Amino acid sequence: MLEACGITLMRGGRAVLDDLALTLRPGECTALVGPNGAGKSSLLAVLSGELAPARGRVTLAGRPLSALGAAGLAKARAVLEQAPSLSAPFPVAELVALGMAAVPRATIDEHALAARAMTAVGIAHLAARPANRLSGGERARAHLARVLAQLWAGRTAGGGHFLMLDEPTASLDLAHQVGVMTAARRERDAGTGVLVVLHDLNLAAAFADRVVLLSDGRIAAEGPPSAVFRSETLSRVYGTPVAVERGHRGALRIGLDLPPAA
Amino acid sequence: MLTRRQTLLLAAACGAVAGLAAARAHAAAPGRVLVLGGDLAEIAFALGAGSTVIATDDTALWPPEAAALPKVGYLRRISAEGVLSLLPDLVLANPGAGPRTALDQIAAAGVRVETGPEGESADIVPAKIAFMGRALDRAAAAETCAARFEAEMARTEAALAPLDSRPRVLFLISLAGGTPIAAGTGTAADAMIGLAHGTNAAAAFAGYKPVSAEAAIGLAPDVLLLPDHALEGYESPETAVRAAGLGATPAGREGRVVVMDGLRLLGFGLRTPQAVAELARALHPDAALEGL
Amino acid sequence: MPAPSTPMRLSKGSEMDASLPAVPARRGWPRASWILLAFAAATLLLALAGLALGPVRLGPGEVLSALAGQGDPRAEAIVGGIRAPRVALAAAVGAGLALSGTALQGVLRNPLADPGLIGVTAGGALGAVGAIVLGGTLAATLPAPLRPWLLPIAAFLGAGAATAFVFSLARRGGGIHAATLILAGVAVNAIAGAVIGLMIYASTDTQLRDLTFWTMGGLGGANWQVAGIATACIAVALVGLIRLARALDLLQLGERAAWTSGLEVERVKRAAGLWSALAVGAGTAVAGPIGFIGLVAPHLARLCVGHGHRLLAPAAALLGAALLLAADLAVRLVVPPAEPPVGLATALIGGPFFLWLLLARIRRDA
Repeated sequence: MLEACGITLMRGGRAVLDDLALTLRPGECTALVGPNGAGKSSLLAVLSGELAPARGRVTLAGRPLSALGAAGLAKARAVLEQAPSLSAPFPVAELVALGMAAVPRATIDEHALAARAMTAVGIAHLAARPANRLSGGERARAHLARVLAQLWAGRTAGGGHFLMLDEPTASLDLAHQVGVMTAARRERDAGTGVLVVLHDLNLAAAFADRVVLLSDGRIAAEGPPSAVFRSETLSRVYGTPVAVERGHRGALRIGLDLPPAA
Repeated sequence: MLTRRQTLLLAAACGAVAGLAAARAHAAAPGRVLVLGGDLAEIAFALGAGSTVIATDDTALWPPEAAALPKVGYLRRISAEGVLSLLPDLVLANPGAGPRTALDQIAAAGVRVETGPEGESADIVPAKIAFMGRALDRAAAAETCAARFEAEMARTEAALAPLDSRPRVLFLISLAGGTPIAAGTGTAADAMIGLAHGTNAAAAFAGYKPVSAEAAIGLAPDVLLLPDHALEGYESPETAVRAAGLGATPAGREGRVVVMDGLRLLGFGLRTPQAVAELARALHPDAALEGL
Repeated sequence: MPAPSTPMRLSKGSEMDASLPAVPARRGWPRASWILLAFAAATLLLALAGLALGPVRLGPGEVLSALAGQGDPRAEAIVGGIRAPRVALAAAVGAGLALSGTALQGVLRNPLADPGLIGVTAGGALGAVGAIVLGGTLAATLPAPLRPWLLPIAAFLGAGAATAFVFSLARRGGGIHAATLILAGVAVNAIAGAVIGLMIYASTDTQLRDLTFWTMGGLGGANWQVAGIATACIAVALVGLIRLARALDLLQLGERAAWTSGLEVERVKRAAGLWSALAVGAGTAVAGPIGFIGLVAPHLARLCVGHGHRLLAPAAALLGAALLLAADLAVRLVVPPAEPPVGLATALIGGPFFLWLLLARIRRDA
C-alpha cells in the first residue's frame, strides 16, 4: 500500500497540493484527472518520491518514501514522466534496458526482459533502431517499454508494486492510446497498483477502477468512474458545461455540452 | 588586462638582450658550446669564442654571426631534447632560460650546464663577462673586455655628469590592444632611463603595468620611449602615439617620441654604454655632451 | 514475473510476431571490442614512437638498451629521463581531458561541453596561476614532500569551482540550453582570464618566467616527479569516471527520469564533477591549458563505438591519449631543435573539427 496523508506542497508561495490524502492499492488502477494546474503531476511526483511535500507523509508498506533512496524506490515503483526524452541516440533495446539499472545485472536476464517489454508495446521490430529516429508514437512506446522493464525487474527483486504514468497518452493517436492503457491494465491484473494521470476522461472512464478528480490542489471527488463523472461535478470543476451519457454498451461518454458551431 | 601576447612580450622584454661586436676572435677554444641568452652569446663572440658556439636561442640577434646560428627556440621554453640533439658539451644559460626541468634534464644527460649572473643593471655586465670568460676558458680576454666595458661606461657617465635637467620619460614596451604597457621601477628600462639622466615618469609602480591613455597624460612624460618592435604595423612613431591616445601628453604634443632597438636598449650587454649614449642624446638634444 | 502477454493491438504494419527474438543479440558488441583493441594498439604504438623518436636520433637498439637500463648514460637520460615522463604525461593528460569531456558532455547532455569551452580548464588555469603567484608564501609553510602537490591541488580547486558553477546552471529545469552553456563558458573564461591577468599584473619577474612557460602549454616541463604526481591524480580520476559509465547512460534520460530509474543523480553529478575537475586540474597544472582534446576525442569515439558510455568512456580515454601523444610527437619533430607549444597542434586539429561539428549540426537542424 502506498499511503499519503496531509500532503501539502508549496510552489512559489502557493499551495499546489493542499492537505491531501490518497491511498494506492495493489491491483487497482487509479486515474488522476482534473483541469490544468489542479496539481495532478505534482501529486504524482509526491507519490513517486520525487518531490518532498512541505507537510504530510507518504509511506510505502509503512516506511516513509524518503527512507528508501532512489534505488529502493526504483525497485518498488516505476514512473513514466511526462514527455520523456533521451539525449543520446541509443538503440531502442538499450534505451529499454536503462530501466533495469536499479536491479543488479546478475539477478535478471536483461535481454529477455527488454525483449518482452518491447514486444508488449509492439516495438520489438525497432530494437536496433536509434532512439532519435523514431516517430513520436514509437518514442512514447519505447519509453513505456523501459518503464515496464523497470517494473518487471523490480518485481524480481521483491518490488515492482506500483506503476505511475504521467499523461502517457498525450502524443498518441487513438489506437495507441488504447494500447498504452491496455498495457497498464495488464500490469494491474498482475497485481500492480497503477496510477495514471489522464486528460481524456473517456479513457479514464474506460480503464480506471477508481478516479480521483483534483481541483486546486484538493480532491474534488473520488470513487468509481460512474460516481465521479457526473455532469454537475465536472461542469463545476472544469468551469464549462460537461455532459455525461451512457453509450450503447453501457460505457460512460463524457463530452462538452455545447451548442453546434453553425 | 594582459593578454597572452602581451605577457609574452613582457617576458621577451625581461629576457631581451643587446650586444656589441667587439674585437674579433683569435684562436678558437675547443668544444661545442650552446648559449642561451643573447647577452651571453654576444659576450661569447666578443671574447673570440664565437667559433665554439654551435647554437643559440631566439633572443641571440647580435652579432650577425650569432643570429645566423641554429636556434633552439624561445629562451623560456627550451626543449631539453632539442638542445641535446645538437650534441653540446657545454650549455651556458641566462638565468631567464627555462623551464628549470629542461635544464636539469640536459645536465642529467651528461652535459655541463652553467647559469650566468642575474640582474638588470649595467653593474652586472662585468660579472657576465667574467662568467663567460671562466666558462669558455678565456679569462684573459674577459679581463680586457670587462675593463674596456667599464671604461666605456665610465666615460659615458662622465660625459653625462654635467647634465642638470632630468626630463620625464615614459617607456612603453607595447601599444598593443590600445592599452600601452609602461615600465615602472625595477625594470631594465627604468635603469636605462636613470643612466641616461632621465626620470622615469612611471616610477609610481614596480614592473610592467598597463596604463590607460588618461593615466599616461597624468604621468606627464616629456618624452615617450618606445622599442622598435612596438611600432610594427604603424606608419610612423607619431601615428602610433596618436592611435594609442597619447597625443595629449606633453611628449605627444611636442612630438618627442624616441624609438630605439629594443634589444640594445634593454639587454644590459656590451652595447649598453652606446645605448645609454644614444638615449641620452635623444633625451637632451640641446646639450653639448662632449666626449660621447 | 509477468506473463508474456499478447502484444498491444496496433494499427497494421507495426503488428509484431511475439515469437521473434526481439533484441538482436547486440550486434555492435564484437565490433566495438575490436575498435577498442585497435585504439589501445594505436595508443601503445604512439607511446612507443614517443620513446623511440625525438630530435636526438637513437637507434632502436639504443632505445631498447636504454629502457633496460643498460644503455649509455646519455641515451638513458634521454629515453628514461626526458621521453618516458613526457610520454606518460601526454597519455595521462590526453586521457584525462578526453574522459572529462565525455563525462561533462554526459552529465550536461550537451555535446559541446568541452572542459575548455565551458571554463573548467580556465578554472584550473586560474588555480595554477594563483599557486604560482601567491603560493610562494603558502608553499613555505608546507612540509617539503607536499610542496610539489600545491600546483595540481590549486588547479583542481579552480577547476572544481568552475565545474560546480556550470552544473548549478544545469540543475534547474533539467536540461541546459547549448547557448546558456556556451555563454556561461564565455563568462567563466572571461572572469578567469581577467583574474589571471590581475595575477600576472601582480607577479614578479621570476614568477612571470614560470607563467610564460606554463601559459603556452606544453609537456616539456615534465620530469618524473611532475609526471608521477599528475599521472597518479589523473589515474584516480579515470577510474572514478569509468565507473560512472552506467550512470552517465542513465542520465541521458534526463535527471528526473534517471532519478526515478534508481540513480542518485546528485551524488553522480558530484562524483563526475569531482573526477573531471581532478583530471583537468592535474593536467592543466603540469601541461598548461590544452584545448580541444576534451571535445574531439569523445566525438570521434562516438562515431566509432556509439553512445553507450561503457564503451565510449574507455574509447574516448584511449583516443585522447593517442591524440595528445601524436600532437606532442609532432611538435617535437616538426622544427627541431626548437619546439612549438603542443596546444598549437591540438588547436590545429581541434579547431577545424569543432567548426565542422557546428556546421554539421546547423545543417542537420535546418
